[in-house]
Order: sequence, then C-alpha cells, then structure tokens
Amino acid sequence: MTYFVFFLGLGFVLGGLGVASNPSPYYGIVGLVVASVTGCGWLLSLGVSFVSLVLFMVYLGGMLVVFVYSVSLAADPFPEAWGDWRVVGYGLGFVLVLVIGVIVGGFIEGWKLGLVTVDSGGMFSVRLDFSGVALFYSCGVGMFLVAGWGLLLTLFVVLEVVRGLSRGAIRAV
Amino acid sequence: MSLLHLSFYSAFALSGLGLAFHRTHLISALLCLESMILSLYIALSIQPVENQATSFTLTPVLILAFSACEAGAGPAILVTSTRTHGSDHLHNLNLLQC
Repeated sequence: MTYFVFFLGLGFVLGGLGVASNPSPYYGIVGLVVASVTGCGWLLSLGVSFVSLVLFMVYLGGMLVVFVYSVSLAADPFPEAWGDWRVVGYGLGFVLVLVIGVIVGGFIEGWKLGLVTVDSGGMFSVRLDFSGVALFYSCGVGMFLVAGWGLLLTLFVVLEVVRGLSRGAIRAV
Repeated sequence: MSLLHLSFYSAFALSGLGLAFHRTHLISALLCLESMILSLYIALSIQPVENQATSFTLTPVLILAFSACEAGAGPAILVTSTRTHGSDHLHNLNLLQC
C-alpha cells in the first residue's frame, strides 16, 4: 500500500511535468487530469475523503470542463504532442532541473528517517476523521461570505472583460 | 523532507517553471497556473492531516473558491485576446506599432 501511495505521488509529479513541458493545450489538459486523479487518490490514502471528493467535483468537473471549452478557442491545425522534439526537450530539461535540485538540496538522504507507530509509518501519516470543513459555515462564516462575494464579483468581471465594441477592457474591435 | 512532500513541492516548482518558460499559447500558461493551484490544494489538504489540526481542513476549500475566480478571469482574458488578435499566440501580445 505504501508503494501504491509512492506511485500516486510519482503520478502527481508526472502530471505536473506533462503540463509544464508545454505541449499543445489539448495534451496539457491530459496532464492536469492525471495530476488531479492521482492527487485525489493520494488524499484518499490519507483518509480525508471529503476533501478528495471536493477536488474531483469542483476542480475536475467544474473548472477543468470550463478550461476544456476555452481550449477549443486555441485550435491548432497541427497540435504538437509529447512526441514532438521541442516538447521532449522541454520535458527532459525540467526533469534535469528536478534531479539536480533533489541532489543538491539533499532530499535523498532524509527519507528513511521517522517513527513507525500505529498511525504512521516512516513519513506517512495515516488517519484523520475531520469535520473541519463544516467550520466554514460556523466559525469561518466571514471568509465564507468573502469567498461568495468574490465569486459573484468574478461573474461581473468576466462580463465586463469580454464585452467589446469600445466598451471593453481589452478588446480593440 | 519526506518523499510525498517532495512530490507536491516539485510539482509546484515544475509548474512555476512551465509558467515562466511559456512558448506559444497563452492557455498553456494558464494551465500551468492551474497546476500550481492544484499542488497548493494538495499541500493544504495534507498539512492538517499530518499535524492533526482539524480546523485547518477548510483552507483547501477556501483556496478552491478563490482559484475558481481566477480560473474564470483567465479564460475571459484569453477570449478577448483571441477576438482581438485572432489567436492566443503570445507573440501577438505586443503593443509596438512598428
């Protein structure tokens, strides 16, 4: 099970690498989906299932779908995938940066340390039942209202940014 | 540093580098921003689990609310730049008149 969580952590980094190596946005979205799914699996392994499901529904199901619709504007007739030599070059460069950073930062020697108890093994904490998100509605109601107000404001921001014909913020035509 | 902390730390750093070294499309840079926010979400979710501090489990939900605002404003700018310049290629975004 520990090695499966390792695999999920590795999948998270590879998803981030897939987005960062700047292929055509069609394939960048795939990297983001892979990172989201492995991140959800990782949170599930820690036991916090509510936050994992929030990530799935709000992030994957809401925001990423909106992004996919926006990607349809960036239509390339010949999109460059991860097999393209430029994207491979970027990906290899980022992997090199990562490896050098890990070696120079000394992150390799420290990973075997840690206690092994019934709730954790080595570097993994195992369980937490939480109702902390419910505090969003009781003690944290101020931030709840600020976040709701910010989301409502974003709707009007988007409306005004996209408006054109001499009343718009960016559009010149 | 524990191994899984290194995982989201390096995902954040890689996405930040991808944002810095953007090439052709504006939306690729926006996707790198989204990936940075995803790694922040995972980090904020893990921290209360490891420190057994239940109250802090609302911080990832809060950052998700604000990142939804940012993920709306970003494609709006993308749409306007596409309608002005015809594509979202970054080399179109210059104000030089010469």
